[in-house]
Amino acid sequence: MSQLMSELQEVFRSVFDDDELVITDSMSAVDIDGWDSMAHINLLIALEKRFGIRLAPADIAAIGRRGQTIGGMLGIIDSKTRPVDSDGTGL
Amino acid sequence: MSMNELIENFMATGGHHEPTTTELLAWLKGEMKAGNLENLAGILPRLVRPDLDYTLAIAIHRLFKRVRQGRPASAPNVKIAVLGSITTPQIVDLLDLYLQAGRLSPHFYESDYGVIHQEFLDPTSGLHRFKPDFVLILTSWRDLGRRPQVTDGREEAKRCVDQEVARWTILWEIARRQLGCQVIQTNFARPAWRAMANLDASHPAGLSRFITLVNLELADAATPGVTIYDLDQRAAAVGRWQWNDDRFYYEAKLPCSPEHMVDYAYGLASLVLAQRGAVRKCLALDLDNTLWGGVIGDDGLSGICLGQGDPRGEAFVEFQRYVRALRQRGVILAVCSKNEEAIAREAFEKHPEMVLRLDDFSCFIANWDDKATNLARIARDLNIGLDSVVFFDDNPAERSIVRRLRPEVAVPEVPDDPSQFIRVLDQARYFELIVISTEDLKRTESYRADSQREELAASLGDLDEFLRSLEMQARIEPVNPANLERSAQLINRSNQFNLTTRRYTSADLLEISQKADWITRTVSLRDRFGDAGLISVLLARVEGQSLVLDTWLMSCRVLKRGVERLLLNHVVRVARERGLKLLVGEYIPTPKNGLVRDHYPTLGFTHADASTQEVSRWELRIDGSRNPLVHFIQETGSREPIDV
Repeated sequence: MSQLMSELQEVFRSVFDDDELVITDSMSAVDIDGWDSMAHINLLIALEKRFGIRLAPADIAAIGRRGQTIGGMLGIIDSKTRPVDSDGTGL
Repeated sequence: MSMNELIENFMATGGHHEPTTTELLAWLKGEMKAGNLENLAGILPRLVRPDLDYTLAIAIHRLFKRVRQGRPASAPNVKIAVLGSITTPQIVDLLDLYLQAGRLSPHFYESDYGVIHQEFLDPTSGLHRFKPDFVLILTSWRDLGRRPQVTDGREEAKRCVDQEVARWTILWEIARRQLGCQVIQTNFARPAWRAMANLDASHPAGLSRFITLVNLELADAATPGVTIYDLDQRAAAVGRWQWNDDRFYYEAKLPCSPEHMVDYAYGLASLVLAQRGAVRKCLALDLDNTLWGGVIGDDGLSGICLGQGDPRGEAFVEFQRYVRALRQRGVILAVCSKNEEAIAREAFEKHPEMVLRLDDFSCFIANWDDKATNLARIARDLNIGLDSVVFFDDNPAERSIVRRLRPEVAVPEVPDDPSQFIRVLDQARYFELIVISTEDLKRTESYRADSQREELAASLGDLDEFLRSLEMQARIEPVNPANLERSAQLINRSNQFNLTTRRYTSADLLEISQKADWITRTVSLRDRFGDAGLISVLLARVEGQSLVLDTWLMSCRVLKRGVERLLLNHVVRVARERGLKLLVGEYIPTPKNGLVRDHYPTLGFTHADASTQEVSRWELRIDGSRNPLVHFIQETGSREPIDV
């Protein structure tokens, strides 16, 4: 499991309050108990805090898209945590 | 790390430090798995600081919920309806967290999104069926109806303001008349942007100006049952661009940036708790490096850092001014210092730059005992609970020991930099208040008079002689608009001398005071040492030929002075004039009111059948001849004629 994936797993465990939760690339909202609209918001908040990123409305929409997988979310987070171009904002 | 160290580290770092937070959460979850719910129930409230991180707050709230599910159900003791044009579930979770930490057990009703007016106006709505004690109206500037147009003049703009205010006051009227509940409504937090740039604040059509006027008018229109939550101030204090995070508004209609929702909910909870009387009353202050820089015992009067010309000295002066302003609006001040008392006092008497004076303090304890002991002493001298005390001390070791030995005391983290002291104390909102009563304004004097009375009592051995020497005068009046707020405050704050502990909001009380079959009385007391203000409330209901004493309570500061005997004589007189034959008293035991277990038998009531196991009923026949009870209080004329 990559570093990013294991950090993501910690976020999931905290947000969904399940210390034994194991996530995989292919999982999506339907595979995780309690992934309702409120948990979804709590997940977004926890992701921003944990990875020190700022999700744009387009990212938020993409993460919430029906059928979005954890692998897909990981890609979005990965692109946000990479070193950024010269303006340094990452926005 | 031991559990105590873990908690102490957590408190000292504000829950913003890894790995302390993770470790603590893991430990708490372990306790949960092991089923140690009682232990958790004691520890969790201590962790609920005002400035928790959002994700952590939600995690702690989950633990609270599970503790509540696992323990013998404590019945909800407050019903709160939450209506919003914003998404409310997160706010409600956080509100629940802070209310539970404040020992309330709330039951919530949440309306659907954005149907505030419908819920009020439809008498069959969920809101009306729920019968709340509080309704919280959470608004956003996006709710504003007709806003002034750029071509509008001042008069047209004023009409928009009036219309906006009327849209909300009509709901307050429904809350008062139909729901009989308290209203807490947010004012409008201004957005960060200003389409009219600098003119936004002064041009009649400027949105900033419009919102400011609406907020002022709402504040002025608020009747006793309505509290305006100054959300605009929170947005300003945080910084408007930081407060608003429109991404989360667009995505989920969250009212503000997620990281500030904790602050939002904490402020709301503070107001609900303040309505219920759960506020801190006393600020206990250390001296050296807290009210001035340096150590008075070592550095002497001329050596301590206080006053103009030195940046730290100026910061200490400003902090003292802030503390003094707290005192002037009713917070009791105490000194809790390790010092030679004479030297500590001399600093207040002789230092030219000292803002606080000896007579600002109701209790002055400077000695070499430990502070946990001294705080207990302060609480006892002032006759308040330790859970009413905030302890402010620059020394981390003292804070730590007090947190460990006196967990009821609130102990904020105090930074080294004195210019941050005001911020720390102000942000925590320990001393929230709903109204300022005349009692608040003279509290310091009256608590000081208490200790003078103690001295007199010690010098006079005989109780009657002591009571006579106090030269007490009482004024008995019905509940009326002038004493409504203070009466409600007392009804919601008194726990010990309180026969039934029934809580009434000021809205309830206003209604009761206007009913023909209710008799309401308040007692205000003064003596040669000072004016204690309004200190007792009695609410009674006529049932046939009986007068049922629904509520009888008194401030503990006037115990054993004969006030209850005076009031009983008065009530007997009033009841007889109405042709009533019997007084019926009730006693409902709580963990805090053992003091009045024998109240009725002592006054000559006899035990009637226990109607339930919890409530005991007591009766006093008043149709025969009966000598008034002896007391030493002179009754003076009321300001208004007494209705009977």
